[in-house]
Amino acid sequence: MVGVYDGLTVIELADRRNQWAGKLLCDGGARVIQIEPVEGSPGRWCGPFVDDEPDPDRCIDYWSYNTGKESLALDISRPAAGTLVKKLLARADIFLDSASPGTLAELGLDYASMASNQGLIHASLTDFGQDGPWCDYVMNDAAHLALGGQMASSGYSDPKAPPIGGQGHHAWHMGCAFVLHGITVALFERASSGAGQYIDVSIHDACAMGTEAAVPQWMYYGSTMYRHTGMHANPRRLPPLQLPTADGNYMIAVMQNFGPRVWKNLIEWMDEKGVTGELHDPKYQDEAYRMSEYRTGNVVRDAIARLIAASDGEECFHRAQSHGISWGLVNAAEENYDVPHYQQRDYWRSIEHPEIGRSIPYPRGPFACDALGIEPRRRAPALGENTKAILAHDLGMSADAISALRAAGAVR
Amino acid sequence: MSARPNARSGVLSGIRVLDFTWKTVGPWAPRLLTHYGAEVIHVERADGWDSHRYNATPSIVSDDPQPVDLPGTKKAHADPQFNTLREESPTGQATGQQELYSAPYFNTLHHGKLAISLNTKSPEGLKIVERLIGVCDAVVENFSAEVLPSWGLTWERMHTLNPRLVYMSTSGFGHTGDWKGYRSFGPTAAAQSGISLASGLPGKPPAGWGFSYLDVMGGWMGGLALVQGLLQAKKTGEGAYIDYSVTEGAMSMLGTYLLDYQVNGRRTRRPDFPPGNRSVFPALAPHNTYRCAGQDRVGQDWWIFIACETQAQFEALCGVMEQPALALDPKFATNETRVANQDALDTIIGRWTRPRRRYDIMRQCQAAGIIAAPVQSAEDRVEYDPQLQHRQMHPIIHHPELGDVPYEGYPVKMSRTPAFVHGRAPTFAEHNHYVYGELLGMSDEEIHSLRESGVI
Repeated sequence: MVGVYDGLTVIELADRRNQWAGKLLCDGGARVIQIEPVEGSPGRWCGPFVDDEPDPDRCIDYWSYNTGKESLALDISRPAAGTLVKKLLARADIFLDSASPGTLAELGLDYASMASNQGLIHASLTDFGQDGPWCDYVMNDAAHLALGGQMASSGYSDPKAPPIGGQGHHAWHMGCAFVLHGITVALFERASSGAGQYIDVSIHDACAMGTEAAVPQWMYYGSTMYRHTGMHANPRRLPPLQLPTADGNYMIAVMQNFGPRVWKNLIEWMDEKGVTGELHDPKYQDEAYRMSEYRTGNVVRDAIARLIAASDGEECFHRAQSHGISWGLVNAAEENYDVPHYQQRDYWRSIEHPEIGRSIPYPRGPFACDALGIEPRRRAPALGENTKAILAHDLGMSADAISALRAAGAVR
Repeated sequence: MSARPNARSGVLSGIRVLDFTWKTVGPWAPRLLTHYGAEVIHVERADGWDSHRYNATPSIVSDDPQPVDLPGTKKAHADPQFNTLREESPTGQATGQQELYSAPYFNTLHHGKLAISLNTKSPEGLKIVERLIGVCDAVVENFSAEVLPSWGLTWERMHTLNPRLVYMSTSGFGHTGDWKGYRSFGPTAAAQSGISLASGLPGKPPAGWGFSYLDVMGGWMGGLALVQGLLQAKKTGEGAYIDYSVTEGAMSMLGTYLLDYQVNGRRTRRPDFPPGNRSVFPALAPHNTYRCAGQDRVGQDWWIFIACETQAQFEALCGVMEQPALALDPKFATNETRVANQDALDTIIGRWTRPRRRYDIMRQCQAAGIIAAPVQSAEDRVEYDPQLQHRQMHPIIHHPELGDVPYEGYPVKMSRTPAFVHGRAPTFAEHNHYVYGELLGMSDEEIHSLRESGVI
């Protein structure tokens, strides 16, 4: 399979913030050399670990975000090691880093120092970008969801409950999405001009525009949003849309279509469960009436809540969808492995893991598209797995020279 | 009036995208290309218009044009005339104009685009779609799976019409498989993928995301797929079909949970997960939101997020709180014991933050190297956040008819080929003359006749 990033060489300075971007470049066919500290990327030490035993080669989070990469472990602060990185950058297509502003200049690895490689695209994904009053502040993923506005909109209707940020590195995902936009657009331009450029992406900037209508709502109306349990924040208090099912799950009962077919099926379903209540009243035959009642009253909403409470989650999802109603079941990620639909779409990619003696099904990637060819091809590297090969083959070093570096603790 | 758009500069100058998207996840993707100079032509029904033009509230439960009547300081921009169609109404009449306006979210999702009207239900309209496909580099839509094929526009047909065409369908579940006919909004996809369940307090119902995260992030990933497709087409001369399932995109961000289940048998559906704002992998404490002094405009308390990832940060926090003995207390002396006693630790920190102002806490903690970030509302980000101001993330763009209007900026700063924000979404059918006249070479008479027959 030829990927969209085939033929490119990427040098990635290991960091938890940028590793998803590096992974998608690698899954898209690029050769990605991740430069790690000799003790391993911070991404190797966060867990979860295989059998919950800390081991930099058995960190599952690292496996997920570093498929197919090569690992070059070295102490970048040592001049001998720094020189090796410069040599790799001199012939690379893309340099991906998340270093604090100013750090790379001290090491002689900033964009200006790489001027001899005119085609180099250097993309920095940092907490706040390269400049600004907060650019030296320290952050993590959850801190970004607070500062960027995701938490302000998310949580519970109970005004005493805290705002909530979703688990799973999503601030970093948002930053990575934009760093990939920049890199891909720069590649598009470079195909004509031959010239690279420097790309500065701030995770905070990305998060700050990632709260859907909250910002326009403020800009145009000056409204502040109430948090609502399991559903959209809104300038008004709204009744719940996340409703409990008979089997202890939750449905997201997003309802926008009250047309005749949907309504007929919904009423039949309610009749079966004996929860229709007063909806047989002829006035509900009028689409405009029932829609308006749904938006302003409780009769239709209460009947829907009773219907969901009387049905199991799976039944609710499939029956609603078969009627053209876009309800969703609050699933657990791991439950998707059992869904035939994703198997029919060839979603899982089996990746061999000799460390545990078997293969694991990984998610394919965001898009089904053979022409883009973005999917994991190989497991993540062990720490320093490719150090020797890169030093020998890419940089032409002798076995003795490599041994000397290793003995000095400059590489692993 | 049918303005000729300004010539676009930028990396994607000369790229033309036919945009059949509506709602939220679809429009985001092509909008991101406008920042690089692509010409994005948004197609709306000749007998109606994009429902977000109506949507004066961002609610997913209401499409009624209800101007929000809440106390606020920015009524000026709520004028229904905003982006009103001035010379061409859907019916070709001058009446009813007062009701047709671009609501905030429409102006956000479609700014920088061109707009045409077209009746795709008529045979003449479909012929025009095919001609447009011939002059465009990409087509993007987020209808249900059966819609474009029902127009005769299968991928094979589009590929025949334009072999270099990149076609992206955006849908909840993709265009193949048992669920291809299933309907989805952002919250549906978030629920099904497992993203919603991974947000909330343990033992409580899922908190999910208080906005359609997957309409936003899903749209950004869709925009990425589009530029990837255009890059591939530029390299190979061959177009591509991208079947983008938003749910699958979300699942690809949940790899750690999926693999943890495969390897360790650990499920995300378990009593102690999700952990609120605490950190499980790695286990860290403190790592939480704490109540501060003051409230927002609707009476919700203000909060700050504080985390210590190192021992030095925790000792610094004890110093900032003027409780140095805390770092020596066996209950809190190491990260391991802090995690074991984090309820007690959170109470102590919360007692310290409660009477203090959130930005003061942020400055004090950050000066000592501690992770601290207030839970910022939209107002905080637009009106106060000095970092976003410095980065020009809410540029104010002047328009002769609308005055000075703020926009969300663009977070990719490129040194040689900067991205830019155009400002203002198009009015309904604003660019019919440019698209049908100049791009497709129709005469004024032809255009008039199409309008008379309801095709445009």
